[in-house]
Amino acid sequence: MFKWFSTSTDASTDLTSGMQRMQAEFGQMLDAGRHIFDSAANAFLGGTNLEVIRKDLFATDKLINHAEQQIRREIVVHTTVHGPSSFPQCLVLMSIVKDAERVGDYAKNIFDLAEISPQEPTGEYKDDLIDLKDRISNLMANCRKVFDKNDEMAAKEYIAVAELIEDHCDKKISEFVTTGNRELSATYALAYRYFKRVASHSLNVLTSIVQPLDKLDYSENKTDGQQ
Amino acid sequence: MNDQISSSQRWWILNPRFWLILFFLFAFLVAINLLGSSFKAVGKDMAAQLIASVTNPFAGLSVGILATVLVQSSSVTTATIVGLVGSGQIPLSIAVPMIMGANIGTTITNTLVSLGHITRSDEFRRAFAGATVHDFFNLLTVLFVFPMELATGFLQKSSTHIAQWLTPEFGGKMPNPLKDAVKSASKQIQEILSNVGIEGGWMALALFLIALTLIVFSLMFITRNMRVLMASQIEKMLNDVLCRSGLLGLIIGIIITVAVQSSSITTSLLIPMFGSGILQLEAAFPIMVGANIGTTITALMAAIVAGEAGLIVALVHLNFNLVATAMFFPIRRIRAIPIACANSLAAAAVQNRLLVIAYVGIVFVLVPLLGVFVFKFLGDI
Repeated sequence: MFKWFSTSTDASTDLTSGMQRMQAEFGQMLDAGRHIFDSAANAFLGGTNLEVIRKDLFATDKLINHAEQQIRREIVVHTTVHGPSSFPQCLVLMSIVKDAERVGDYAKNIFDLAEISPQEPTGEYKDDLIDLKDRISNLMANCRKVFDKNDEMAAKEYIAVAELIEDHCDKKISEFVTTGNRELSATYALAYRYFKRVASHSLNVLTSIVQPLDKLDYSENKTDGQQ
Repeated sequence: MNDQISSSQRWWILNPRFWLILFFLFAFLVAINLLGSSFKAVGKDMAAQLIASVTNPFAGLSVGILATVLVQSSSVTTATIVGLVGSGQIPLSIAVPMIMGANIGTTITNTLVSLGHITRSDEFRRAFAGATVHDFFNLLTVLFVFPMELATGFLQKSSTHIAQWLTPEFGGKMPNPLKDAVKSASKQIQEILSNVGIEGGWMALALFLIALTLIVFSLMFITRNMRVLMASQIEKMLNDVLCRSGLLGLIIGIIITVAVQSSSITTSLLIPMFGSGILQLEAAFPIMVGANIGTTITALMAAIVAGEAGLIVALVHLNFNLVATAMFFPIRRIRAIPIACANSLAAAAVQNRLLVIAYVGIVFVLVPLLGVFVFKFLGDI
C-alpha cells in the first residue's frame, strides 16, 4: 500500500490516453502510407497523369514525415511524464513509426521508377504487378485494422500473407537477376524489390502485435537467416 | 462530451489517490499548525534565539537558499516559513529574503537532473542550459528585487495591504471549519504527547519534529500522487506547448505546478525534453516563469491556518514572483538575458565539466554558507 501511494507512476490509470493519441496518429500514418503506395504503384503501372500524382505523393510523404517527428516528440514527453513503465510501449512505437515512414520512401522510389522507366510494364509482369499491388494494398489496410484492434490472431494471419508476398517478390527478383537480358529487367527487379519492402514494413508493424520487444521485425515462421 | 465530463468526474471521486491527496493536504495543514504550537510550547527564549540567529536580511536570503537546497523543495521551505511567521517566531523583514532565497534554492533540483546527460556533450549542453535558465532567471530577479525591497519594502507593504483586505477570509472573523478541524487535530496530537508524559521543552521538540516530518512527507505524497493523477493532463499540456512560446507556456507552467505542488517537478520534467532537443529554451522559459508563480500555492495553502502574518509572507512569495514575471516576461530582449546567460554557461560547461561542480558548489553551497556566517558575524558586531 505504502509503495502504491508513494510511487510516481500508475500503470492502471493514466498511461493510456497519451499512448492512445500516439497510436491514433500512427494509424493515420499507416493510412497515408497505403494511399501513397497505391498512388505510386498506379503511376508505375501506367494510365495515370504523373504530374498530378507527383504533387499529391510528395505532399503526403511530407505529412508522413511530420507525423513521424510529432510522434517521436510525444514519445519523449510520454516517457518523461510516465517513467519506466511506459518504456516498452514507447520503444515499440519508436520502432514501428520508422516502418510507417519507410513506406513513404519506397512509394517515392516506385514513383521515381515510373518517371525514369523508358516504357510502362506490359504483359504477364504487368498483370502480376497489378495483382501484387492489390495484395499489398489490402495487407496495408488490414494491418491498420489489426493494429487498432490489437488482434493477435488476425496479426498472425496477415504476417503469413506478408511473407507470401515477400517470397513471391524474391522469386521474381531472382528470375530477373539470373536472366538479366530481358527487356526492362532492371525496372521490374527494382519494382519487385520496392513492393517487397513495402510489404516487409507492414509485416514489421504486424510483428509488434504478436512478438516481444526484442523480436520486433522477426516473424515466428522464419529463422534468423531467412529474415 | 457531457458523458466524458461526468465520466471524468466520477473517475476523480472513485480514485483512491484523490482521497489520499485530500488526507495529506489536511495533514500538511495540521503540520503547519503544529509548527507554530511547537514554538509556543517552548516559550520565548528559544524563539528569541532563533530570531537572533538570523537578524540580517542577507543572512535570511542565504538561509532560504541553504534550507531549500537541503530539502530540495521550496514548497517545504516556504510553508515552514509561513508557519514560523504565522506563530510570530520570525519577523517579516527576515522572512521576505528567506522566501527569495527559497526561490533560488529550488532550482538546484533540475540542475542536478541535467547532470544525467553529462556523458553526451550536445545533449548535456541543451539540458544544462535548460536547467540553468531557471537559475539565472531567479538569480537575476533577486539581484534586482532584493535591493529594491531593502530600500522600499514594497513587497512587504503591498502584501500587507492585500492580506488586510483578505483577512476576513483567512483570519478567523468568518467561520472557517477547515481551520477549526486543523486546530482540533493539532490539539489531539498535543494531548496524546501530554498523556505519554512529554511536557515542556521535550513537548516543543517533539511537536517541531512531528511538524517538520509531516510537512516533508505530506508534500512528498501530495506531489507524487498528484503527478500520477494528473499525468495525462500534464502530458497533453506539455505536448501542446512544445515549439511554442509565450502566454500559453506561462499558463501551463502555473497549472502543472499548482497541480503537482512543486516547481521542481515541473522544471525537471522539461530537462529530458531539452536534452533530446525537442524543446527549445525560448519555448520553455515561460513554463519556468509559470512554475515560479504556481509554486506559491503551497505557501498560500499553509496560510489558511497561519493567520494574517503567515498570509502576508505567502503573498510576498506570490507578489515576488509576479514582479519577476513582469520584469522578465513581456519584453523579448529582457527575456533573452537569462537565456543567453544559460547558453553561455552551458557552452563553457561542455568544454570543462569541472565548471559544473564549481557552479553548483559556489552558487548553491559556498556563497549561501558564507552569507550566513559573514552576515551573522556582521550582525553580532
